[in-house]
Amino acid sequence: MIRIAFAGKGGSGKSSLSGTFARLLARRDRPVLAVDSDPLPGMAYSLGIAVDDHPTPDDVVVEGPEDGPKWVLRPGLDAASFIETYASAGPDHVQYLQFGNTWGHFQTLQRGQHAWSQVVREMDPAAWNVVGDLPGGTRQAMFGWAKYADVLAIVVEPTPKSIHVARRLLNITKAQWAPSQIVVVPNRIEEHADVERISSALECLAIGAVPNDLAVTEADKLALSPLDYRPGPFVEAVEQLVSVVESIYDLDVQPQTNGKP
Amino acid sequence: MKIAVVGKGGSGKTTVSGVLARSFGRSGHNVVGLDCDTNPNLGLSLGVGDLETERLLSLRDQIEDSEQKHAHTWDDILEAYGTDAPDGVRLTVVNRIDNPEPD
Repeated sequence: MIRIAFAGKGGSGKSSLSGTFARLLARRDRPVLAVDSDPLPGMAYSLGIAVDDHPTPDDVVVEGPEDGPKWVLRPGLDAASFIETYASAGPDHVQYLQFGNTWGHFQTLQRGQHAWSQVVREMDPAAWNVVGDLPGGTRQAMFGWAKYADVLAIVVEPTPKSIHVARRLLNITKAQWAPSQIVVVPNRIEEHADVERISSALECLAIGAVPNDLAVTEADKLALSPLDYRPGPFVEAVEQLVSVVESIYDLDVQPQTNGKP
Repeated sequence: MKIAVVGKGGSGKTTVSGVLARSFGRSGHNVVGLDCDTNPNLGLSLGVGDLETERLLSLRDQIEDSEQKHAHTWDDILEAYGTDAPDGVRLTVVNRIDNPEPD
């Protein structure tokens, strides 16, 4: 089972990539759980789910025991039933979960975070491939929200700001809980020099090169998934990315099974 | 005047802030550019460059290493922890997250 999370600068294309990635993975007959931990979630659009507001209700958690986590899933609710109850079905049989929606206040976000970490920790690792979309910037990624992933994909545009954010995110390799594979995915590439700019600045493994595809911008404006609106070079590149990530697992590089209890 | 620029990631907040700050600077205002992003990049938009943006950010680490004294007033902060950007803009940064939490 593949567990991948996408991080990067705001606007670098994480949602478009992760949503498309999730659906293409599902088309390979894999059960896919797409998880959006952005408090301003955008993954639903790229999955092709019309309504973008699927918040996890407050009452999924209750206060935890004194010596345990602050919030725990309410009695009777375990990881499997949580997913069954609260995930929304999307095209290609992708199941979609949203955490950290900002309609609530700070405490709501905390509850969502606890629910989320318990669900990924306790869910059957053999049941789902997990594709995650993190918010832009460094905060959530640095605080371990992508711990569940074996592969952390840092999405980078060939601009100094985007490269800057990626450089900071690469510090996650130092963390004890770091995903075993941290890779850089160049996005909105127009010429070979763009990939060079990214890989030489970051001195790290770049996988794939996702081209700047106007169809994605147009799909965005129409609130459509890139897969449902003139699939072209972008979709082809994500298809290749799926193959590369599958091969990481085939090569048996011993991804940590972060999801195992 | 005090202006805050907000919006979705990638919508152009930093670029707009940088251009606004320098435009006000050019028309003779004293301008402070205050980067409140935990992932601060305003230095790049203002045009102070990569290295200076990084140097500015490392000031906080210097405080923690006690190489620098704490500043007590707004002016002290700008003096000690700011940098000069073009068109008379003084840039400073609130905070920055660039290392992972231990757990």
